[in-house]
Amino acid sequence: MLRLSLKPLFVTAASTAAIAFAPAAHAGKTLDAVKARGQVVCGVNTSGPGFSNADSQGKWTGLDVDFCRAVAAAVLKDADKVKYVPLNSQQRFASLQAGEIDVLSRNSTWTLTRDASLGVVFTGINYYDGQGFMVPAKLKIDNVKKLNGATMCVQAGTTSEKNVADYFAAQGMKYKSVVFDTAEAITSAFFAGRCQVYTTDMSDLAGARTKASNPAEYVILPQVISKEPLGASVRRGDDEWFEIVRWTQFALLEAEEYGLTQANVDAQKTANKDPGVQRFLGVSEDTGKLLGLDAEWAYRIVKAVGNYGESFERNLGPKTPIGLPRGVNNLWTKGGLMYAPPIR
Amino acid sequence: MTTPIGDAAWRARERARHRREWLVQGSLALIIVLVIVGLAQNVVANLEARQIKSGFGFLADRAGFEIGELLFDFTSSDSYLRAFAVAMANTLRVSLFGIVLASLLGVIVGVMRLSHHALIAWLGSAYVEVFRNTPLVIQLLAIYLLVTELLPDSSNALALEGIALLSKQGLQVIVPAHGLEALLVALVVGVAAAIVATKLVKRWLEIGAGLIGVACALVAAAIAWVLVGAIGGWSRPEVDGFLISGGASLTPEFLALWLGLSLFTSAFIAELVRAGVLAVPIGQSHAALALGLTRRQAMASVLFPQALRLAIPPLASQYMNLIKNSSLAVVIGYPDLVSIGNTSINQNGQALEVIVIIMAVYLSLNLVVAVIMGAVNRRVTRAPR
Repeated sequence: MLRLSLKPLFVTAASTAAIAFAPAAHAGKTLDAVKARGQVVCGVNTSGPGFSNADSQGKWTGLDVDFCRAVAAAVLKDADKVKYVPLNSQQRFASLQAGEIDVLSRNSTWTLTRDASLGVVFTGINYYDGQGFMVPAKLKIDNVKKLNGATMCVQAGTTSEKNVADYFAAQGMKYKSVVFDTAEAITSAFFAGRCQVYTTDMSDLAGARTKASNPAEYVILPQVISKEPLGASVRRGDDEWFEIVRWTQFALLEAEEYGLTQANVDAQKTANKDPGVQRFLGVSEDTGKLLGLDAEWAYRIVKAVGNYGESFERNLGPKTPIGLPRGVNNLWTKGGLMYAPPIR
Repeated sequence: MTTPIGDAAWRARERARHRREWLVQGSLALIIVLVIVGLAQNVVANLEARQIKSGFGFLADRAGFEIGELLFDFTSSDSYLRAFAVAMANTLRVSLFGIVLASLLGVIVGVMRLSHHALIAWLGSAYVEVFRNTPLVIQLLAIYLLVTELLPDSSNALALEGIALLSKQGLQVIVPAHGLEALLVALVVGVAAAIVATKLVKRWLEIGAGLIGVACALVAAAIAWVLVGAIGGWSRPEVDGFLISGGASLTPEFLALWLGLSLFTSAFIAELVRAGVLAVPIGQSHAALALGLTRRQAMASVLFPQALRLAIPPLASQYMNLIKNSSLAVVIGYPDLVSIGNTSINQNGQALEVIVIIMAVYLSLNLVVAVIMGAVNRRVTRAPR
């Protein structure tokens, strides 16, 4: 009778112990998971005009969103097969670590600490940025050095938070920080006048300014205090997926170098006899199979989102409300820093 | 000589029952320990497999960020440990302020709801329903928005010349230049005054000696504090460009959080007070009035002390809720424990360790509240009925 009543207990104990001592779970191959799911899950910014921003219909646009679409076009042959997960600055890496997203494409700065200790790895740089300062024009401030004692709005857990501490310490200046967890909270506090200064990446400042009721009331100071190379990242330990995401960015750049655009890529596919273009578009060679994809992966990227330059002009360029010049983000052949290794 | 209870068969059954119970409970305990150890090992293995740094060594590292609100010195070159200490002090400060204000408001509103004046009772009800039935996050955001929108810029601050300044930079008030000394002197004088006053008053007054003692202590402490300022000099708030220097400062974030937490919690405390008073048998009230006490006297000396006895245990959990709710600070930019924890997680990626620290701190704070309120409860219930 005793044995009978205790038997289920022992069974439970044994199975529980088995679960607890099971070997560490593996995430599985990301590419297989993405194909099985039929969707690329992409972590993006909750509100980053020009990088990732949802309009009133819930349609996502931006440079980082285009990157997600490019990955989906290459892998799933359909740029719309992307699920966007808006993340704030504190959630982003944890979300990637936990396997909730496949790619983090959320204007995040590539640093040694993040690359080497967070269990994530950066795949490249899609925007060379730097940290700047925005102030109300009525304060008539034209230089960072005049900001001693200012109250500064900054986003929690960003490189900006540390850069500004370093910079002000080096200059022997003081400031008071007010730290919020989302960009929306910062802009509303800043435009309400709680802080005299908003500091973050220059591209973010330009985006935030478009959200002011009168953008002309705010100026972005010309001084840049840091290097902020922004790019996508993936989980560590899946080299195959890492290569796909990395070469997606290179394909965007390579397309611009070859002069291939969304509009002309179909015509060029047959008309352009340049062996480089033929190879790139998968006409003469199959570069895709080395990545675990098919021959036309790069062609589909250009067809779906255009080349890097097109994406830049569409989302951030001088004709958009953000109005950023191409600057260092131009191709290396045009005096910029954007350079892709050869796709061959 | 003792006779064993029951017959031999019964005793055997009892012994078997004991063995069985030990076995069951022992196995359960073993399973719990195994699960915890197993999970911990699995976590460590997973972190290693994913090449994520782990361990508490980071606490000694340089934090590298600034904190906007400080009770003691902190710069970006201090350690994470010190950052957590600053953050905990901020959590503690807003919680203590909140508990005091919420209790005051709660008692006032609770008594209002019991009033025979229809308007006063209705005002009390309206207060409770509004603050109890809307989400705290929304209240905090609304209060913060009001504070930051309505207040003037620091260049046109509302000023009580040399005494206080109110602007978007918060509230700055004059304090003695020797701030810490002033507080210590005030504390000592206050405690002394409380003891002396209570003893003196008790000789010729049976009820309310404690309240009078508290009042005397507050007045004496305030006088002592002002005297230290008058002798040792004052630190006055001054506007210099956009820098406000001198004085003690309460930021809009602190003010909004303090007010929000207090209003929200006071609605629940008001209900506890009302429930406590209504739970006292009606005969007590009738008897008090029959003895010739006024309504006010009956409330203060007969109903309220008995109501307190009923209200203290649930009051303790309201205080604990307030402490935990203070973690919503993160939405309005007040640098509390969770906010600094979030920043740390993002800067060094050690989410697990930071969350363990945050949980440990809240757990200890609430255990302290439990112990204090337990002691108060024992004291109240021991009072003669």
